[in-house]
Amino acid sequence: KSCQTVKISTVETAAQSHTSRDAGVQTDQSKDAVQDFQPEVQVDYASLLAFLQRVEDAVIKELNKNWKSRAFDGFEVNWTDQNETVLCLHTLSYPEAQDQNLQVTSVSWNATGSVVACSYGRLDDGDWSTEKSYVCTWNLDRRGLNPQRPDLVVDVPSSVMCVAFHPSQPSLIAGGLFSGELVVWDTGRTEDPVIWRTGMTDDTHTDPVYQVNWLPDAKRRNHSRLLSVSTDGKILVWKEERDGRLALAEGFAIVAQQIPRSAQLKKFAWGEAAVGATSLSFSHFDPRVFVVGVEGGYSLKCSTAAETLALHRTGSSVPLRAPAELAFSPHGGPVYSVSCSPFHRQVLNLFLSCGTDGQVHVHSMLQPQPLLSLQLSKKYLFCVRWSPVRPLVFAAASGEGNCNKRLCLIGDVHLFDFEKSSRKPALSLKQAAGERPVYCLEFNTKQTRLLAAGDAAGTVRVWQLSSDFTEQGPREMNRLEQLASEITD
Amino acid sequence: GIPIRTTLDNSTTVQYAGLLHQLTMKARSTVRDVDPQNDLTFLRIRSKKHEIMVAPDKEYLLIVIQNPCE
Repeated sequence: KSCQTVKISTVETAAQSHTSRDAGVQTDQSKDAVQDFQPEVQVDYASLLAFLQRVEDAVIKELNKNWKSRAFDGFEVNWTDQNETVLCLHTLSYPEAQDQNLQVTSVSWNATGSVVACSYGRLDDGDWSTEKSYVCTWNLDRRGLNPQRPDLVVDVPSSVMCVAFHPSQPSLIAGGLFSGELVVWDTGRTEDPVIWRTGMTDDTHTDPVYQVNWLPDAKRRNHSRLLSVSTDGKILVWKEERDGRLALAEGFAIVAQQIPRSAQLKKFAWGEAAVGATSLSFSHFDPRVFVVGVEGGYSLKCSTAAETLALHRTGSSVPLRAPAELAFSPHGGPVYSVSCSPFHRQVLNLFLSCGTDGQVHVHSMLQPQPLLSLQLSKKYLFCVRWSPVRPLVFAAASGEGNCNKRLCLIGDVHLFDFEKSSRKPALSLKQAAGERPVYCLEFNTKQTRLLAAGDAAGTVRVWQLSSDFTEQGPREMNRLEQLASEITD
Repeated sequence: GIPIRTTLDNSTTVQYAGLLHQLTMKARSTVRDVDPQNDLTFLRIRSKKHEIMVAPDKEYLLIVIQNPCE
């Protein structure tokens, strides 16, 4: 006997999608939905009391055992692969800018932590220059990243001295120019990325803008204002107007006569001159308090709530106020960068300042004398930043200076860790192959292992830090507070 | 879990209440799966920065967060 299957019927068809569309998707920052307590919770207080009485003894016993216990001393768990070395992940540059010998003046990470932007310009020129420069962005998470080809290049008619990405909208970036103007670009727009600019009006700065910050607007949650700092002594806050213009909302002017003098500081020749501000940092805990570093070599504690008007000669549309409340003791040269600690919670807010004397001062906002003065190197320090994850770590960028009576330009990024040593850097990274100073650096707050540093050779290096720079130890906050209080009298 | 009394701020409390309630239920079912006659009496979670202690009950949960001295 044989058997055979019935004839199997088959049919062939092909399917193909006809049309396709590209769409980009990006998550928006989630609104922090904090649910309030439901006020009418039906609680049976009698049974709650009974429960508490039942568990009270057990909990108190455990609490007592715990603070006497030595069971976990020295016990540490490694959840992630320990990365022992610091490596340079990317060396990014824009060859056209390098051909013009432009330097990287500032770097910034965007709100999502995946795009790094840098501005090209010149920091060592004293003359007024009208040379063109660029703002370049690279998306580091993109596959096929070409380090020599930025994802976006914006041509700017003047040197860009500083850039800052918007803290929550990943495509907006603001830049301050050598001409004193501010421009905001939208990197999502392909045709003309400029969306707002200040233009040259009476309100615009008369000197280069050295730092630009985004300020969260207290009244409208999603709008931010821009703050610009310039060596003409003015700190201006700009708001967006409808026709793509940035208009002055409020402003501050620092005039030498109005600086509060502390009895402990030596008397300097304070004239009526405007005091050139080079850098600014807001306190993370009191949004009205900020610290300004000036060319004169000292830092000032200022408040946005200041009422007194500034003795400023030129007219501006909005009256400028004098914000300074306290002057801190000076460095031996201009202060180029200040940074407030994002960790120190108490009233004595810590901040760092660095300048051309190669020193980093750790200051508390309560007293004019620094808590600690670290001679980090003999070269100028251009930028200092606290680490966003480890309260005891900060990074400083150094550059030119006189070593052994010779001008040496080798730029380093110094990483300092108070846990390891309070005298010298834990690690010094040599930035560029040649001898070029490092002008700026920024930690990446979303991908906390990354640190970007830009130098005078026109390259941006993205460093990946080792685990000991990115993982917080158990007692670090206490150690920081100890450090802050051990030197105050 | 719905917070009744707290010494922390609102958002942290709500976060702890929700997360620890789920964890306590999971811990309890783990204990009872291994031995049905057993039941969870106390839960302690030790982290790098502090220790969280949970005293469970049929209707309530008491959560204590302690910074141990080392």
